[in-house]
Amino acid sequence: MRKIIRVAAREFASTALTKGFIIGAFVVPIVMMGLFFVLMPILMTEKAPKVTGTVAIVDPTGVVLPAIREGMSPEAIQKRQEQREARMKEAFGKTAPKGLVSEGQMDMAAKAAASSEPKTDLTLEILDAASDIEKEKEPLKSGTAQDGGRLVLVAIQPNAVTRSTPEEPYGSFDLFVKPKLDDRVSGDIRSVVGDAILDARIRAAGQDPEFIKALSRVDRPDAVTVSKEGEKKQSEWQIFLPFGFMALIMISVMVGGQYLLTTTIEEKSNRIVEVILSAVSPMELMTGKIVGQMGVGLALLLMYGAVGGGALFAFAMLSVLSPLNAILLVVYFILAYFMIASMMAAIGAAVNDLREAQSLMTPVVLVTMLPYLLWLPISRDPNGMFATVAGLLPPISPFVMVLRLNSTDPPPMWQVPASIAINVVAVYVMLRLTAKIFRVGLLMYGKPPNLSTLIKWVRMA
Amino acid sequence: MLQRFRKRQERRPDAAEDERVGDAITVSKVRKTFGSKVAVEGMDLRVGKGELVGFIGPNGAGKTTTIRMIMSIIFPDSGTLSVLGKPSAVESKDRIGYLPEERGLYRKMKVGAFLCHMAQLKGAPPTDLKRKVYTWLDRVGLADCYKKKCEELSKGMQQKVQFLSAIMHDPDLLILDEPFSGLDPVNMRLLRDLFLEQHRMGRTIIFSTHQMHQAEQLCDRIVMINRGQKVLDSTLPEIRSQHDPRTLLVEPLTPEGAARLLSMPWVREIADQDGVLEVAIADNMTPQDAIQRIVESVPVARVQLRRPTLEDIFVEIAQGEGQSAEDVRQSLRSGVKAEVEA
Repeated sequence: MRKIIRVAAREFASTALTKGFIIGAFVVPIVMMGLFFVLMPILMTEKAPKVTGTVAIVDPTGVVLPAIREGMSPEAIQKRQEQREARMKEAFGKTAPKGLVSEGQMDMAAKAAASSEPKTDLTLEILDAASDIEKEKEPLKSGTAQDGGRLVLVAIQPNAVTRSTPEEPYGSFDLFVKPKLDDRVSGDIRSVVGDAILDARIRAAGQDPEFIKALSRVDRPDAVTVSKEGEKKQSEWQIFLPFGFMALIMISVMVGGQYLLTTTIEEKSNRIVEVILSAVSPMELMTGKIVGQMGVGLALLLMYGAVGGGALFAFAMLSVLSPLNAILLVVYFILAYFMIASMMAAIGAAVNDLREAQSLMTPVVLVTMLPYLLWLPISRDPNGMFATVAGLLPPISPFVMVLRLNSTDPPPMWQVPASIAINVVAVYVMLRLTAKIFRVGLLMYGKPPNLSTLIKWVRMA
Repeated sequence: MLQRFRKRQERRPDAAEDERVGDAITVSKVRKTFGSKVAVEGMDLRVGKGELVGFIGPNGAGKTTTIRMIMSIIFPDSGTLSVLGKPSAVESKDRIGYLPEERGLYRKMKVGAFLCHMAQLKGAPPTDLKRKVYTWLDRVGLADCYKKKCEELSKGMQQKVQFLSAIMHDPDLLILDEPFSGLDPVNMRLLRDLFLEQHRMGRTIIFSTHQMHQAEQLCDRIVMINRGQKVLDSTLPEIRSQHDPRTLLVEPLTPEGAARLLSMPWVREIADQDGVLEVAIADNMTPQDAIQRIVESVPVARVQLRRPTLEDIFVEIAQGEGQSAEDVRQSLRSGVKAEVEA
């Protein structure tokens, strides 16, 4: 036991206490997050250059123009700006950490996000209703939007507002713009003209546009889950949460497993393994290494888990987590880790370098790819036959169980101890097999083994 | 050295003494195969406590396999082993120091930390360990390397660190597989002195080499292994007395000396080694009579018996087993060549 602890301690220290690991696991994510929070607001508040020029309009109907003129007025632009801010504020209110951000801060952020729209100084140029569109396009061809002049040509179709028969479809409008015009400006003009045509049609039909708009607007509510425990608003994030948990244990398992593979190959290739084997048995060495790297995986799991938990707390979604699931996450991590790690240790011991390991890695890669493929079908039907079987079937069972436990419809409680028991047995069998390969492989140099050689080693040992 | 060991064996006054001078290692009828290849066959071996035994034989003879079985790194197919009174080395690993032929270091680990780690794996108490490591490093001239990474050391320096890792925990039994390979003469002398010091301290040592002259210089007893079998197990004087010298070194005064020698019916073969003739004599002639006849018929500056080297003896034994002398010498030399290249 003392020797296993000694091996594990060295394994952990030589992996987790190195500059490379600390930079990769801690510093890089922190720097990335820092950049995200510092750079994004700067980018968001950066003002686009002012757009100056004319918008030419050909209106054969003669009834759309007044509404366009109204829509392009400074008051209307100001109003649209205010509406944008209000929408932004509402969106932030849904997602921003409650209690952490004040009303004032939210206002500022919304204003900043909304005012990132380019400032415009556009003059309307009313063209004759019978103008030749092709000819009017000519000014757009010289220079770019930055040079000013005519920037946009709006050609409203004659049947845009009224039609001769009820079967005939309404016409629309054509929008021609100068090269490099900010798409937000053309988008804005598009919606102003579109709204103006709509208003004109409603008026032509003898109705009040405001009344019709009110008639056609229905707010979309979030779904509310009603159960014996009470009512809970279903969030769009709900489907990503199980995936987040699965990715968390997957990353921790794979990082630990990969390091185990690399250190085993390193010990073998720099020929220290025989010196070590004179002090510890192969089984002690393998156990120590697996336990040491489990510490590395667990450190990552806890750290990233804590960050994730912190994020959920900040977004006031901590209630979606249950303490039992957090404990089970660690339990399933350990089971999944032992399964993958024992395979990694055996592969590491069998080969001479990392390149040779790739060909033997196929089963491990398959095990780690499957849960990603199964994520959607299992999340949609977490208690279906498929999910139930996959949840009890090693080696993917730990990943699937984590998916199911954190889904909206958790599995019956009996399946948790059942899957744990099945995995414990599977891990035991796997360790017995891989320990044999580990023991034989460690002192074998030369030709890399194939699958049949590995089976021979298992029989031989 | 040998006399001291013999005296110790002769005394054997009581049970306590018996334990002290008893066998450190016994190997009995051990066989090991790898697939269809028989690596070791019918190996019987006893190594007394405090003895310094040399394992010799060409590369691939079965020395390393035997050592690995003694170390319980691999296990025999049949036969029994006992190491330091225990049925296998697994139970006495902490009392054994082992320097395998295939040896390395943790490249990224610091020298001091590596030696402490290895000593602790071998059960050395952590108290005062750092000071001990420092003292040993100082003794081999690596005092300033305590905090250096192992990969920063030269090959010779690494070899000294590896040697220290085998003796750091004060083992009762030391097994050293080709400990001096690739060392320069100065470092070889340094390690040889440490090696002999360990022997003087009463530690049992098994020393494996394919360089016969090293075994000849250092060991009390020689175990010769060829093709997986023990072909010789004796003390050096016994080996020499058993293997009658049948070659004379003759330095003739006149150039025609060689021709006259070759005309004698009992001369089997003559080889010229830089003017000194190596004269092999026929089985029906004693060396004493041969010397007398040469002196009577050929004017010579010098004539003497050539003491057989271990290599000669090995070749003779291998020839007895049906191998040609040239093949055997070639296999011994290929070992030396491989070492030089390494």
